[in-house]
Amino acid sequence: MTRTDLGNAATTMYADGDELVIERVFAAPRELVWAMMTAPEHVPHWWGPHGTTTDVLEMDVWPGGAWRWVNKFPGGEAPFRGEYVEVQQYERLVRTSVFDVAPANSGPAALETVTFEDLGATTKVVYHTRFPSPEVLSYALAQGMTKGALEQFDRLAGLLAAA
Amino acid sequence: MAQADHLSVTFAALTNPTRRAILERLAEGEATVGELAGPFEVTLPTISRHLKVLQHAGLVEQGRQAQWRPCRLRAEPLRDVVTWMGRYREFLGQSFDRLDSYLQQLQSPSGKPTAEEGR
Repeated sequence: MTRTDLGNAATTMYADGDELVIERVFAAPRELVWAMMTAPEHVPHWWGPHGTTTDVLEMDVWPGGAWRWVNKFPGGEAPFRGEYVEVQQYERLVRTSVFDVAPANSGPAALETVTFEDLGATTKVVYHTRFPSPEVLSYALAQGMTKGALEQFDRLAGLLAAA
Repeated sequence: MAQADHLSVTFAALTNPTRRAILERLAEGEATVGELAGPFEVTLPTISRHLKVLQHAGLVEQGRQAQWRPCRLRAEPLRDVVTWMGRYREFLGQSFDRLDSYLQQLQSPSGKPTAEEGR
């Protein structure tokens, strides 16, 4: 599997075969990091890009439970929804995710798998996203990385480095 | 959202390995339908059908002049896919930066999260 590094010093991001993987070590115990992703009162404090806010409309963290979050930014909003698939306390969280705007919401959902590794005082979070058409994404990435077909890629890489 | 609709057409076109191989060949330069069919154990009509899908997705264009009508790669839809992925990465990457700050605030002696919005 090809592994394409896309991250910066703090966050490791790479495309690993059919998945986009984002890794980060947080300076907090695992129970606290777990709470950030599973307790509705914490989500609005961090979910979404800088300068945005998030409303948690639904968040039932158990297998089969629904979640519905709306990220709000100046001039618009981006609604997301899905369902929790697996909830293994402090260890592993699996959920589906759909960008809830037509016609994107009629297609298959992305599958997000988050694992929490206890490193003592810190916690390593590994966030896997499997997109509806994984092979397509790795193909597009490979084209951009190797053949120079995508002239905007450098600009994109710059954006990511700044993120 | 026209953008998402366009992406799904691009995805559909790219999910086929023969079509991806055709695009890889075209990334090296123009080719006629006959040249494209060369490396594959498929008939010309099959290649033509794949080309139609790729043309519909805007990934390939075919010259009008000359009977050879060479095919050419159009990179723009691929760029859209990469841009879309980049947005997703940016979304999560920035969220994680914010989560990092939020965790620091929660664990600080005062323990009081302050508004981080608008940074």
